[in-house]
Amino acid sequence: MKERRIKARNRYRWDEIRTAIICLAPAAAIFAVFNVVPTVWSLVLSLSDWDWLGTARRFVGLAQYGALLRSPEFWNSLRVTVLYTTGVTVLGLVAGLTVALCLSGNVRARAFWRSVYFTPAVTATVAAGVVWVYLFDPAGGLVNLWLRRMGLPGPAWLTDPSWALVAIIMVSVWKRLGLNTVIYLAGLQSIPDEYYEAVSVDGGGVWAGFAHVTWPLLAPTTWLLAIMSVIDSFQVFDLVYVMTSGGPMGATEVMGLYLYRQAFRLFHMGYASAVGWTIFIFVFLATLLQWRVSGAGGASIYGASTR
Amino acid sequence: MSRKWGKGLLVLGAILFGMSMVISAPVLGKEQLVLEFWHYWDGNNAKAAETFAARYNQLHPDVKVKPVFVSTGELLPKIQAAVLAGKPPALAIADIAWMGRLLRSGALAPLDAYLKERKVNVDDFYPSLLEYSQYKGQMLALPLTTNNLALFYNKDLFRAAGLDPERPPKTWDELVEYATRMTKKDGSVYGFEMYSQVDETGEGLTWNLQPYLWQAGADFLTDNYTRPGFNNERGEKALEFVVDLFQKHRVAGLARKDSFGKGQAAMVVNGPWMVGIWKDSVPFEFGCAPIPYPEWGKPATNMGGEQIFIFKGDEKREKAATDFVLWLTDTANMIEWDKMTGALPVRASVAKDPGYRQWLQGVEPRLLVFVDQQRYAHARPPIPEYADCSLAFAKEMEKAYYGRQSVKEALANAEKALLAILQKK
Repeated sequence: MKERRIKARNRYRWDEIRTAIICLAPAAAIFAVFNVVPTVWSLVLSLSDWDWLGTARRFVGLAQYGALLRSPEFWNSLRVTVLYTTGVTVLGLVAGLTVALCLSGNVRARAFWRSVYFTPAVTATVAAGVVWVYLFDPAGGLVNLWLRRMGLPGPAWLTDPSWALVAIIMVSVWKRLGLNTVIYLAGLQSIPDEYYEAVSVDGGGVWAGFAHVTWPLLAPTTWLLAIMSVIDSFQVFDLVYVMTSGGPMGATEVMGLYLYRQAFRLFHMGYASAVGWTIFIFVFLATLLQWRVSGAGGASIYGASTR
Repeated sequence: MSRKWGKGLLVLGAILFGMSMVISAPVLGKEQLVLEFWHYWDGNNAKAAETFAARYNQLHPDVKVKPVFVSTGELLPKIQAAVLAGKPPALAIADIAWMGRLLRSGALAPLDAYLKERKVNVDDFYPSLLEYSQYKGQMLALPLTTNNLALFYNKDLFRAAGLDPERPPKTWDELVEYATRMTKKDGSVYGFEMYSQVDETGEGLTWNLQPYLWQAGADFLTDNYTRPGFNNERGEKALEFVVDLFQKHRVAGLARKDSFGKGQAAMVVNGPWMVGIWKDSVPFEFGCAPIPYPEWGKPATNMGGEQIFIFKGDEKREKAATDFVLWLTDTANMIEWDKMTGALPVRASVAKDPGYRQWLQGVEPRLLVFVDQQRYAHARPPIPEYADCSLAFAKEMEKAYYGRQSVKEALANAEKALLAILQKK
């Protein structure tokens, strides 16, 4: 049975092929027009010098990539993006796992708490960003109001170069929390109770249960969430655009924003395409890493199932 | 099988036929030339565009001018995409800061022949605005609106601080003195609000700082826009004055947006469009005055505005669009446009019109400050590299505002960055 399903037939009837072509054509056409063509075109552009209207397109080889590597602004945007990605990924995982552990036990109104934590995940990013701008307002915002009430001095969050990125990371973690929690919860539920019973038979406590059962068995889930978070974070744009526009002094200028500014504010299409392909290379490397790690995830009881 | 094919074709044909009916139905009824007019206006400006289009359409039943809203940030990218696709609108407006790029695009239709044929007195438009309309001796656009920056001050806060609300500051020293008196120690009220964030384009910071450069006798770009003109003693004085507002006197907060409107800043420099907005939305009394300038300097302000232009197309469309533009920009219609929108006159004949001045005096005397200041308004360089220059300049100035580099360093670094941009071309 299985054999038959996997082995491809080497002959199809003509009308089968025709039906397949007709069914696939719309999707393939859309994919080609909106994905393949722009991707190839942007690769061509990244090897050219072109400022849109009224300028001739010149082939310049890898000059745009050379200019990019020499630009301190590009390196700043890479640094900011890596900091942002690391912050969001690490804090997001810690927060997600913590909430999931709290909710997996016998909690009253569990469904209610789950939806509470999931609400940010389904809120429009731009709308959430605008609201957080108000919350972070140094003079009248709720965040500093509460800090003052607790006797703590509140920074000028979004306009202080040392705090702006921290504030944006906090909002991103808040937004990812629901997703991370739900996936961790699913992971927790698939761990059989017998393992914990074995730990207690051996005299282990709650911590031993976490260290020797929960954490290792959640490793595939953690990896999946980490890679998803890295891929998403590397492409962040909307939240930063709404909250700080990359300021102050470039403290939050992530690569997506840098690309946008070069392409649609300064119209350096060649240079911006080179930035785009550089982002692609990083995301591609992260994806490769995911394949390798999830494929070789020996610590997992799921073994090949996550492959 | 072939019957199925036939059926499919029939359905497809029916769909296409139906679509063509929907698309062509209004056209078939009346042979009408539709002229899309792209703009990014909202509020009174959008209302004025609709009003004038409707009025023109009534006078010309064979033409339909159709204003289409595109958001400010998207207008230029959309125009570029439409031109590349060979489907530009009939006409559009754009901020003068973008004209350097648009004039060189090769997509705009020259107006010279029409202007000559209709005997339009081009000299009636302010020459500083025409800098954004011409390229290589051709007239490719016409000024439609203009504006400049002036001082807004909160009269209630003036009174509370024991200052005369009818005597706004005239010099830099007075500005600092007044602002110091009105600044509250707890940070709830600053004496002055100064645009200090780079944002998307840097232009907000740059165009708010430029007037002080000009007042002090420095320039943004000089020698026919080939090199920076601010890295000198006069430029230092100007930047030092602004940096001191943040760092030394602490009368302005960093990156505070719209503090003035919320009553959290006593003074701000802004454009005439804010008169209409704040008139209806703030709970305090405010006045307008020329931007203060030093005793040893000269009055100066920055000039903004919009130009209207026609895209190359077939002759019939170009001609119809030009007719609309010339009709819209004639003196009588411009007076009415300015009354509706609060925009400043682009023609001397409008600014001098006794009816218009009388109307201003009665309805909104605060706008007279802007009208009279127009003669001190400087134009930003109408070159395509301006956007790059503005962003690079703003980035260095921001660091000075935050006290991360000295005034001298900021000007020297900005000069270096701008030279690199200007010499690349």
